[in-house]
Amino acid sequence: METYAYILRTLAHACVWTVTVTIAAFVIAFVLGSILAIITTLSSRAVRYLIYAYVEIFRNTPVLVQLFIIYFGLGQIGFKLSPYSAAALGLGMNGSATVFEIVRSSLKAVDRGQYEAAAAIGMTRIQSIRYVIIPQALRIALPSVGNYAVGLVKDTSLASAVAVPELAFRARNLVGETYLSTQIYLIVAAIYFVLSLPLMRLASRLEMKLSSGRHKNA
Amino acid sequence: MLEGLLGAYGSVLPLILPDLLGGVLGTLRLACLAFALALVVGLALALAKLSDNRALRTPASIYIEIIRGTPALVQLFLVYYGLLSIGVKFNAFEAAVIGLGFNVGAYVAEIFRAGILAVDVGQREACYAIGMTRLKAMRYVVLPQAVRTVLPPLATTGISLLKDTSIAALISVPDLLLRARDLTSEYFMPLEIFITVGIIYFLICFPLSIIVRAMEWKWHPETR
Repeated sequence: METYAYILRTLAHACVWTVTVTIAAFVIAFVLGSILAIITTLSSRAVRYLIYAYVEIFRNTPVLVQLFIIYFGLGQIGFKLSPYSAAALGLGMNGSATVFEIVRSSLKAVDRGQYEAAAAIGMTRIQSIRYVIIPQALRIALPSVGNYAVGLVKDTSLASAVAVPELAFRARNLVGETYLSTQIYLIVAAIYFVLSLPLMRLASRLEMKLSSGRHKNA
Repeated sequence: MLEGLLGAYGSVLPLILPDLLGGVLGTLRLACLAFALALVVGLALALAKLSDNRALRTPASIYIEIIRGTPALVQLFLVYYGLLSIGVKFNAFEAAVIGLGFNVGAYVAEIFRAGILAVDVGQREACYAIGMTRLKAMRYVVLPQAVRTVLPPLATTGISLLKDTSIAALISVPDLLLRARDLTSEYFMPLEIFITVGIIYFLICFPLSIIVRAMEWKWHPETR
């Protein structure tokens, strides 16, 4: 019983790291992805293609490889990041490609007439995006962003590979100490489930609510 | 010429490339087997979830929710290390095929379910009305439409599975990433080697992504 108390205590600490990495990566992904998506609607073709290249690179390579490049690779040429910063940056940049796609398709989903109407009442392009398009696009993007967040909680388990002391990492250590592999991994799975369940519910609720709203308008 | 372009790595690259390509084979083998398993698991789950029998529906829903709510990495650890202590022993490769296959199966199930539901019942009824047999209706009307709904997301899932096989390296399956890790401790060039690995994954995944996009472009003009 004492062993289990020890396991649970250790995993509770690890939870804090999981949540911290999730939040940090989410902020980076959301801010970076949205900014890139908005820039592509405003900027020249050259800039747009650079951003597309960035997105394609991150979407078509494994997150784990990206983490290794940032942690082990950059460390070699003098940019030694802490495991936590490397994980937050790697997962964040990876997520920014996903958020980019979500925001871009949401921006496209806003009716063209909205742009035209904003222009007709004398708004500049930036004003119309800021006050007319973004509020509507955000509403469309929200469920997908929620689904992304659910995926992110689980993906933080990859941070264990660059030695962030989060759930999956601690679990491995605990298994080494106690040999209770089945029990520990089941507990860890349960913790992840409890962490992502509210997000999953929220995402599907948003999806239902917002899609029903659209039906009414149609 | 390589050495002029890449410096010291130019002389290392030809040495490690055969090893990395061996890793690619491991990755592709793992991805194909896991995907095949995922299709079987996914179809079974989709049919169970659509069935009228609650005894099939509820367990399928619970399974899908649990799989989707927990990380694939933890599932892999559970299959590889966890089952060990209750006497079920897989080697790393088998554990990875099973772990990833059953994981992706939960996502595939939702795709199949959506595909089956997307074809309106009226379509089938219309076929019978013009005298088609059940088989003909399935073959010429229902399946072509279901395939169009199912194939693009299915291919997207396959591509992410291909990338996700990299986590199998963490239970020491000799895939591309594990080979690369071994090589970095031999040559001390993690940046160059991991970037090479990234490029290899990209060269495999990007063309596949383009094909998926072309399918969507052609079959789902509403998403343009």
